[in-house]
Amino acid sequence: MKRIGVFVCHCGRNISGTVDVEEVVRQIRGYPGVVFCEDNKYMCSDPGQKLIKDMITEQKLEGVVIAACSPLLHEVTFRRAAAEVELNPYLLEMANIREQCSWIHADQSQATEKAVRIINAAIEKAEHDEALVPSRIPVKTRALVIGGGIAGIQAALDIANAGHEVVLVEKNPSIGGRMAQLSETFPTLDCSLCILTPGMVEVGQHPRIKLMAYSEVEEVSGYVGNFKVKVRQKSSCVDRSKCTGCGLCYEKCPVTAPSEFDEGMGKRKAIYVPFPQAVPNRPVIDRDHCTYFLKPGKCRVCQIVCPAQAVDFQQTDSVVEEEVGAIIIATGYTLYPAEKMPEYGAGKYQDVVNGLQFERLLSASGPTRGKIRRPSDGKVPKRIAFVCCAGSRDPEHHLAYCSKICCMYNAKHALLYRERVPDGEAIVFSIDVRTAGKGYEEFMMRTREEENVMYLRGKPSRIIKEGDQLSVWTVDTLTGHLLKVKCDMVVLSLAVVPPIGVADLAKKLRVQTNLDGFFSEAHPKLRPVESLVPGFFLAGCAQSPRDIAESVAQASAAASKVLEMFSKKELASEPMVVTIDEERCSGCKVCVVTCPYGAREFDEAKNIVKINEALCLGCGCCVAACPSGASEQKNLVEKQISRMVEVMLGEK
Amino acid sequence: MAKNKKIVVDINPEIRDVLVEMGAVDIYKCYQCGKCASACPWFQVGTYDFPVFRYPLETALGLVASSEEKEDLAKEVDKLYRCVGCEACVDQCPLGVDIPDILRAARRILLDFGCYPEPLKSVVQKIRNVGNPLGEPREKRADWAGDLDISAFQTHMEILYFPCCIPSYDARIQNVARSTARVLKKGGVPFGILGAKEQCCGEAIRRVGAESVYQEAAKANIRSFEAAGVRRVLVSSPHCLVTFKNEYPELGSSVEAIHATEYLWPLIEQGRLKPAKSVNKKVVYHDPCTLGRQCGIYDAPRKILRSIPGLALLEVEDFAREFSLCCGAGSGALWLDWPKGERIADVRIKQLVDTGAEVIAVACPYCLQMFEETVKAMNLNIPVMDVTEILYEALNEKGSAE
Repeated sequence: MKRIGVFVCHCGRNISGTVDVEEVVRQIRGYPGVVFCEDNKYMCSDPGQKLIKDMITEQKLEGVVIAACSPLLHEVTFRRAAAEVELNPYLLEMANIREQCSWIHADQSQATEKAVRIINAAIEKAEHDEALVPSRIPVKTRALVIGGGIAGIQAALDIANAGHEVVLVEKNPSIGGRMAQLSETFPTLDCSLCILTPGMVEVGQHPRIKLMAYSEVEEVSGYVGNFKVKVRQKSSCVDRSKCTGCGLCYEKCPVTAPSEFDEGMGKRKAIYVPFPQAVPNRPVIDRDHCTYFLKPGKCRVCQIVCPAQAVDFQQTDSVVEEEVGAIIIATGYTLYPAEKMPEYGAGKYQDVVNGLQFERLLSASGPTRGKIRRPSDGKVPKRIAFVCCAGSRDPEHHLAYCSKICCMYNAKHALLYRERVPDGEAIVFSIDVRTAGKGYEEFMMRTREEENVMYLRGKPSRIIKEGDQLSVWTVDTLTGHLLKVKCDMVVLSLAVVPPIGVADLAKKLRVQTNLDGFFSEAHPKLRPVESLVPGFFLAGCAQSPRDIAESVAQASAAASKVLEMFSKKELASEPMVVTIDEERCSGCKVCVVTCPYGAREFDEAKNIVKINEALCLGCGCCVAACPSGASEQKNLVEKQISRMVEVMLGEK
Repeated sequence: MAKNKKIVVDINPEIRDVLVEMGAVDIYKCYQCGKCASACPWFQVGTYDFPVFRYPLETALGLVASSEEKEDLAKEVDKLYRCVGCEACVDQCPLGVDIPDILRAARRILLDFGCYPEPLKSVVQKIRNVGNPLGEPREKRADWAGDLDISAFQTHMEILYFPCCIPSYDARIQNVARSTARVLKKGGVPFGILGAKEQCCGEAIRRVGAESVYQEAAKANIRSFEAAGVRRVLVSSPHCLVTFKNEYPELGSSVEAIHATEYLWPLIEQGRLKPAKSVNKKVVYHDPCTLGRQCGIYDAPRKILRSIPGLALLEVEDFAREFSLCCGAGSGALWLDWPKGERIADVRIKQLVDTGAEVIAVACPYCLQMFEETVKAMNLNIPVMDVTEILYEALNEKGSAE
C-alpha cells in the first residue's frame, strides 16, 4: 500500500461554508493508506503549497490527494509543486469538493459525507496511479493560416516577420476579405482599402509567406506540431507563372456576370480579377459563365489576346501537401440570407439591400463609383431606412446572438449617405444602439448631431412595396406612434454568420464549433484565441462577430500563441493516453470511428488497432466504446474506476 | 370636481404577481422592440390605438387595468377586449412573447370582478346554460343533419365529426356542416356525430377570460368523447382544432383532432374524392389565423381548391399565409360591435375583394360569419364560402369513388 497524503482546502468559505472540513480531516486520517492529512484555508497559496512540498519530503509520500476545487483550475499548480520535490506529478490527484460538492449542496452533514466519499475515491485512484512521463514531440515551426481577410493577413505577417514560414490559403482569387469590400471604416472613416492594401502587398511579396489564393484546405492529418495539410489549388485556367497581370484578357472578354466582390451590385467579366488592387493580381476564369466551357471550344478571346500565352483552358486543379506545426483559422463571415426574412421582402425587392451591398454602393471603387444610386432604377434615393437586427437577436426565427458590428456600420452608412446626398434623409430603425468601443459612442452621436440622422426605436414588422417606393411598417416605441415610413431604399443589417463551407472545414479539421457554426475557443475568458484542439488557433469572425480592430488584435494574439509554441524545440504530449491490449483487441475498429482525433490506425497484418500517442488527447471515448475491454487509459484503468465507484457509493 | 389623474406612480407588484399567476408568463422576455405593434391588425385598421407592444411591460409594472376612475377603467377594459387573438404578434415576435396570453390573464381578473363587455357576458351565460353561444336549445344541436341520414357515433367508426356551434345552429352556416358530412359520405368515410351530447369547445370564452366556464364545457366534452369511445375528431372550426389539440390535453384528453381540410385533401389525392365538376370562378382564399399561423395549415385548403377544375385560385399579395390579416372575430370579438371605421373585417374584405375574386373562400366558421355580415354591411355582392362547400359543389353525382 502506498503512503498517501491528503490536503483539504477550505477555499475561504467556499468549501468550509458547507462542508465541515475538520470532520472531513478526522475521517480521512483513518482511511487505509493515508499517512498524513491536514487542512488549510487556501491550499493554492504559497504556505499551502509549501505544506504540500514539505510533507511529500518529510512523510516520504508516494501519492497525494488535494481536496479542493476543479482540476481545471489548480491541478497544474499542485502538480508543479509536487514535481519541484521530485514526486512524479501524475501521482497527484484532485478531489473536487467545491464545484461538485460545497457549491451545490446546502445541508452540511450530507455535504460533509459526500466530500469524504469524493476524497476516498481520489485516494483509491491515487493508490493505483502510475508515474507517467510525457513524451517529447518535435515541432515543425511553420504555420498555416486559413483565410486571407484582415485577420489572416495580420496573423500571417506577425508570424512571418518573427522569422517563421507561413502558408496562407485563401479560397477567393484575391486576399483582402471583407475589409477589401468596405468603403470607409468606423469610427475614423479611413478608406478601408487604403489601409488594407499595404498589408496585402506585404503578404504577396513576403519571402516567408507562401500565398495560395483560389485554394482550399482539403485534408488535415497529423497532430499539434506536425500537421500534414492537403491544399487544393483550384484551376484558374491561367498559368500564374506566365501571367503578367496586364489585364488585357478581362478588358476584351465579351461575357459579363454578377460580381461577387460587388455583392451583385455590379458586373465583372467571365475572366476577371475581383478588384484592381487584388493580390495576387492574376485573373481567374469562371467556368460557369465562360463561353469556352458553355459551348466547348468557342470564343477563346482571352487566349488569343494574352501576350504571355498564359491562358490554359486545360489546366486542372492541383493538390499540394504542406507540413506545418500550427494552424490559424481565420475564415471570416458572411451575411444571413435575406431570403430567410419574408417580412422584409425575402430578397425580392431590388431596393432592399444588405450592409455589404451598401458598402459597395458607397465605395469609390464600387459599381457606382461611390455615388448612391438605388439598384432598381438608378435614381438617387432621397430617404433611406436602415433596419438594425435583421436576423440577429431573434431566437424564435433566426439567430439569438447580437451581431455586434451592425450598430456601428449603420451609423457609418447613415453618415456617409448624408455626406453624399445632403438633401437625403437617413432613418435608423434600431432597438438598442450598442456602441461599446473607443470613440464609438462619439461617432454615433456625430451622425445624429452633425448629419441629422434620425434614430427611431422600434423593429419594423414589414417592408412592403408601394409603387416605386418601399413602406416600412413600424412603431416608434418611445412616442408610441405607429408609422408607415415611405422610403426609396432600405438597408438591412443582416446578421453576421459563418461563411458557407465552414461546417465542412470544421469537420475536416476536427475542430469544434458552437451551434451557430462559429469556432469554439478553449476558454471564453482565459484562452480566447486557442481552439479546443491543440495546435489550432482562432482569429477574427471565425470565432464570433467582431470588428476590424478586434480582429486584428485577436490575429496578433493568435500569432503570438503560435510563436510561443514555435519558441520551443519540442512539445510535451499528454501522457494520459490510451493503451491497447493486443491480446484482447479483436480488430472490430469501433474505436477507429469513435476517436474524435483520428488517433487510431488499423494494423492489417496483425488485425489489431494501434494508437498514435501523439494524436491521442486522452478523452476516453474509445475506452467506453471498446466491446472487448482492450482499450485502457493510463491512470484511469478499469480497476481504478470500479474502486472509485464502489467507494463513492459507500461500499468499502 | 374631478380628481386629478396621478401620472407618477409606483410599480405594483401585487397586480403583476396575480397576472403572472393567471398566465402572463412571458412578461420578462419582452425587450420592447415593438415589432408586434405593426404586425397587429389594428395597425392596418389605423384608426384605433391598440398599444399591443406596451402590454408586456405594463404587466410587469403591474399597471394593467389599474385606473381608479370608472371612465378610465372602462376605456382600459375596452382596449383589453380589442385583441382578437390572431397571434400575428406572437408569430413575428423575435422572442415568442405570447401577448394574447398576457391579455387573457388580465381578462381573467376582469371576469372575476364581472367587469367585461355586456355582449360577452351574455355569450358566457349561454354557454354555461345551454352549451352554445347562440343560446339555442341543446336538443336541437343535430338539427343541421336533417334528412342526411347521419348516424350517432359508434366506437368502431373512424371519426367523430364535430361541426362547432355555428355550423350546428346558424341557418346559413349549417350548410358547412351539411357539405362536410356529404363530402365524407362520398369519400366513404365511416363517421358519426354526438349531437346533443356535445357542446361548445369553449375556445372563445377561454380567451374572453371565463376560465371556469371553459373548463366545465371542456370537461363535459371530454366525458362525452370518453363515454362514446372517440379517438379521432374531425372539426370544421380551427378554433375547435386548436383547443382539442393543445388545450384539452391539459384536462386529460387524449383525442386526436384533425381539420376538415387536412382530412379531405388526402382523400382527393388518393382518388377517393374526385372533384370533376367545374367551378369556373376566381376564388381568393383567406387564411384563418387559427388554422394558418396557429396550426401551420396553409396548404391543404389551397390544394383542395386547386384540385377543382376551372377554379382560379387567387392570393392576397403581401397578406397571405403567415401574413394573413385576421377577420376580426377571434377571442370573443365575433360578438362585439365596434364603431364603423374601427372594424378589422372591413379592411380584410377590401384586401380580398381587391384581388378581383368572385368568391371568398374560408376554412373557419368564425371567419365565415364575420365576412358574411361584413359583406352585407358593406353592400358588396360577393359570396363567402367554406372550402368544403366549394368542394361539395365540385363533386357531381359521379364524383365519388363509391
